[in-house]
Amino acid sequence: MSELLDIRDLVVEYHTEVGTVHAVNGISIQMKTGDTLGFVGETGAGKTTTALSILRLLQIPPARFASGEIWFDGKDLLKVSEKEMRSIRGSEIAMIFQDPMTALNPVIPVGQQIAEVLIQHNEITKAQSWEMAEKMLEKVGIPAARANNYPHQFSGGMKQRVVIAMALACTPKLIIADEPTTALDVTIQAQILDMMKQLKEDSGTSILLITHDLGVVAETCDKVAIVYGGEVVEYGSLEQIFDRTTHPYTVCLFGALPSLDKKVDMLTPIEGQIYDAISPPSGCRFHPRCPHAAEECSKKVPDVVEVEPGHPVRCLYANRFYAQNAEGRR
Amino acid sequence: MNQIDNCLEVRNLKKYFKTPAGALHAVDDVTFDIPLGSTLGVVGESGCGKSTLGRVVLGLLDATDGSVVFQGEDITNASKKRRKELRTDMQLIFQDPFSSLDPRMCVSDLIAEPLHVYKIYKSGVDLEKRVADLMDTVGLARRLAYAFPHELDGGRRQRIGVARALALNPKFIVCDEPVSALDVSIQAQILNLLKTLQRDLGLTYMFITHDLSVVKHISRDILVMYMGCMMEKSPADELFEHPMHPYTKGLLSAIPIPSIHVKRKKILMKGEITSPVEPEPGCRFAPRCPYATEQCRKEMPVLVEVTPGHFTACHQVKGEQ
Ligand SMILES: Nc1ncnc2c1ncn2[C@@H]1O[C@H](COP(=O)(O)OP(=O)(O)OP(=O)(O)O)[C@@H](O)[C@H]1O
Ligand SMILES: Nc1ncnc2c1ncn2[C@@H]1O[C@H](COP(=O)(O)OP(=O)(O)OP(=O)(O)O)[C@@H](O)[C@H]1O
Ligand SMILES: [Mg+2]
Ligand SMILES: [Mg+2]
Repeated sequence: MSELLDIRDLVVEYHTEVGTVHAVNGISIQMKTGDTLGFVGETGAGKTTTALSILRLLQIPPARFASGEIWFDGKDLLKVSEKEMRSIRGSEIAMIFQDPMTALNPVIPVGQQIAEVLIQHNEITKAQSWEMAEKMLEKVGIPAARANNYPHQFSGGMKQRVVIAMALACTPKLIIADEPTTALDVTIQAQILDMMKQLKEDSGTSILLITHDLGVVAETCDKVAIVYGGEVVEYGSLEQIFDRTTHPYTVCLFGALPSLDKKVDMLTPIEGQIYDAISPPSGCRFHPRCPHAAEECSKKVPDVVEVEPGHPVRCLYANRFYAQNAEGRR
Repeated sequence: MNQIDNCLEVRNLKKYFKTPAGALHAVDDVTFDIPLGSTLGVVGESGCGKSTLGRVVLGLLDATDGSVVFQGEDITNASKKRRKELRTDMQLIFQDPFSSLDPRMCVSDLIAEPLHVYKIYKSGVDLEKRVADLMDTVGLARRLAYAFPHELDGGRRQRIGVARALALNPKFIVCDEPVSALDVSIQAQILNLLKTLQRDLGLTYMFITHDLSVVKHISRDILVMYMGCMMEKSPADELFEHPMHPYTKGLLSAIPIPSIHVKRKKILMKGEITSPVEPEPGCRFAPRCPYATEQCRKEMPVLVEVTPGHFTACHQVKGEQ
């Protein structure tokens, strides 16, 4: 009832010449109002496909919703009419892409672009919308005097701020941000993340933050879903994921990072190749790369095990790893 | 004697590009040594001149001023012929292995290409053997010899890039963001490979990146650049323990740490980086620096060795000493 977003067993495929791409294979996630959920995984894990599914922005074909439901604020988004979906996009769910130019029109001044969004969603005059647009720009740290500038007159970080201002312009309930800071420098990333946190505190908007950076997750999210091969392999609070890490894939992800405070000679990579969505492995999708894989792992598809309340893990030996890793930390 | 221990000695190197708005100071007075067999990390944000520095050092771009000495030889104004010879000793690994590889060539042809160009082997058998050896060295399974780049993941494509760079037995390699396009699990594979090769073959690296945890892991010394200028240079651990320049401090504090127990205070730097076209006389960082004074805006600070091996260019740090 109190779930704002409830994705149940979503399965999405792409039908291509070389075969069926199993991009999303039964993803379930829940978000409550005010949550910031970090959606973490490597290239090809199915993060963007999931995000675009929520907004129904996937091109069909090649994409196909094979099964599942996406409940948002009491509606199954996969069932609502295209007209209704259009009004949800922008006014209730906004999306921020890695490349700000996806959302910006190069030949319209940024202030006008924000004003147009405002007019679409509010009963206001043009003059009012311009005034509000200037306020939005200041809120994201861009002087109102630059409202007349075109996107190319801004740096990458500033363009992304404009996109965030546009996303916020219609006070959405949910913002989906797909790697919003990946293309930016760390100091600019720090500014943007700080701003997003501030704006969230002010407006209570929920954020689904897609990223591959566990550092970004630690600083901005309160819940985390770790995705591998189109499945959520581990889900939990920040504390559960960072301190009681259970799934071998999550453990490996942390282990592969160069650390700033420990000195190691060699890093610990994850062996093998990234998940192949066209011919996924049998059994557990991570088993070919898993340092603990047993015979069984290639045969049996693991169920989700709740190792502690609110901490589901998709692994045959979840309970054992949970106990072991808890021991190791003592 | 110093010259023998250093693979590379760069002095007051400058590269200015002509632009319609005036000279763009992409690299402005950069000085450093890289001892044989070690790694110098070059960090800084987009546009600060890292790639340009790498290209000038390799002679792919002409220097505007200053000098580059490679193994005791001043190569700043080397002839075309000498440059080509130097290519065998000095190599480059790029960020995006995909865009730098010809999509119509298979793995073994791609690795053989530099050997062909330099006519290293007369017999096809020797060439084939060398290609197979290189594939072993970089960890590419021999069954992939006839695969095409688009059939491989980013990690394997980068291994091709490494094999190509190694083909001519170089002594020095500029690695320009070699792992920036890779996932962490694959990034770790490539970083380990580069470290192992350095140890086994005695290679010297200049490692360009904007990722500070990567640079700390791989480098012996680190050079921090901002808008073409050197802000700080120090042994890697020392830089992270005692950063001196306000820019370095801000940069380090901005790294998101993957832990929920480390809580650091972020120094949020205001403003944006602009490009150094006909820059003002003062410190390049002054417009964004919280400690900037009149002096900082008027006078470019010089690089000073504040503690042994640790250099910084900042009026305020010098003032403290
Ligand atoms: N339009 C498409 N046609 C065919 N396959 C696609 C298409 N879009 C994505 N895929 C494939 O679907 C899988 C999931 O892709 P997706 O973009 O959702 O991953 P991601 O987690 O967002 O990865 P990244 O971190 O690289 O952005 C991948 O194997 C990808 O190659
Ligand atoms: N051929 C060129 N002509 C004019 N300006 C150039 C040229 N090449 C680079 N520049 C400028 O020189 C400066 C330094 O660029 P460079 O590519 O060296 O930066 P970088 O530190 O490698 O950045 P990134 O992290 O984005 O790769 C930038 O302002 C860039 O726009
Ligand atoms: Mg994506
Ligand atoms: Mg570069």
